Amino acid sequence: MSEALITATSSGLASCHLCLKLVDSKLHHCPRCGSAVHLRKADSIQRTLALLVTATALYIPANVWPIMITDQLGTPTESTIIGGVLLLIDMGSIAIAAVIFIASVMVPTGKLLSMYYLCWSVRHAPPGTVNQRTVLYRITEFIGKWSMIDVFVVALLVALINIDNLLVIRPGAAAIAFAGVVIVSMVAAESFDPRVMWDQVEDQVENSDE
Amino acid sequence: MSTMDNVSHEPVCIACPSCDLMFDVSSLGDGETARCSRCQHFLTTYRKDELSRVMAYAISALILLILACNYPFLQLESGGLQSMMTLPETASRLWDYKMPGLSLIVAAFIIFIPAFILILVLVLVGALMMERHYDWLRSIAWLIFTLQVWSMVDVFFVGVLVSLVKVGGMASMSMGVSFWAYAVFSVLFIPAVYGLDRAQCWNRIEALRGS
Repeated sequence: MSEALITATSSGLASCHLCLKLVDSKLHHCPRCGSAVHLRKADSIQRTLALLVTATALYIPANVWPIMITDQLGTPTESTIIGGVLLLIDMGSIAIAAVIFIASVMVPTGKLLSMYYLCWSVRHAPPGTVNQRTVLYRITEFIGKWSMIDVFVVALLVALINIDNLLVIRPGAAAIAFAGVVIVSMVAAESFDPRVMWDQVEDQVENSDE
Repeated sequence: MSTMDNVSHEPVCIACPSCDLMFDVSSLGDGETARCSRCQHFLTTYRKDELSRVMAYAISALILLILACNYPFLQLESGGLQSMMTLPETASRLWDYKMPGLSLIVAAFIIFIPAFILILVLVLVGALMMERHYDWLRSIAWLIFTLQVWSMVDVFFVGVLVSLVKVGGMASMSMGVSFWAYAVFSVLFIPAVYGLDRAQCWNRIEALRGS
């Protein structure tokens, strides 16, 4: 990087997170859109970690409790997220099993793990990896909402399959817990500030110059 | 649109939301996109016809959403027995099963928030196109960009396809008018809402206020 790269912070400017206006970093509110302005999102790492722990805790009931209850001729069968995936494999619908597995198991766990890693990396990872970590953050932020697929599928099946006394599908408590995991982890990703990773890189460059 | 063109000729600096580097994005030509040179994060796109495009998509999307809420969504037939559902029932049946919270969340993600955003976009873009300034424009724009993350139209539609395949094996399914309306709606919603560029939109509001 030979060209002079100037950050907003080093020029005494803060970027408004909502409307992208550059404002004097001493101001508390953006003069253009009225949002609160911070040089960096406030207590980014602590807030993100607190939300991640909440999401992780919710992930346990989301997997242990039934997400859906099928009443066939009056006999209820409860199924969990993993149980539903296994059932689909038994039925031979490998593709749908894969979609549900990716959306409800891989995406949420992957997202939680990568957010924990990103929080840890701010202090401990080698600065050279900052580009890859920024990409990881962007992917994590993007895929977050896609885990809602399973909750929507439950809502749809509940509304659709309702043939009195023959076949009724009821929602299970895990659906609420799982929606909680998705929402809380989306808020966690939003409260993380990727610029703190770049600050670490700039600090290192400055230190080596001295 | 003479005053609008000036917006892009004044120096306009924005900082990369991802790594904080500053860039002057004022010299973008029609259809050009600025990305951060250090981390490739998207910064802004300039389009001369942005407002009219967004307007067209938003009107069509809103009409389709209204259609989608008023006709049968999916129908199921198995051994002479029938079961039909509408789009709002996706949320309201959860309420019947004593899950009001989840019911409201689902309704908000797939109907209320998208509809609300579209109405706000119509008002904002309408005012920008007529070059009228109102003090409440910035509250409207603030709401649009804050709520954007919380619409899950595309996610829901993938969920619909998954459910179709899941149930399709055991019973015959038929798609109603609402299904097709929502399918097209979910495609149009993206350019209607994400077509509104954050930096350009706020520059336009600021330019109107200044003039």
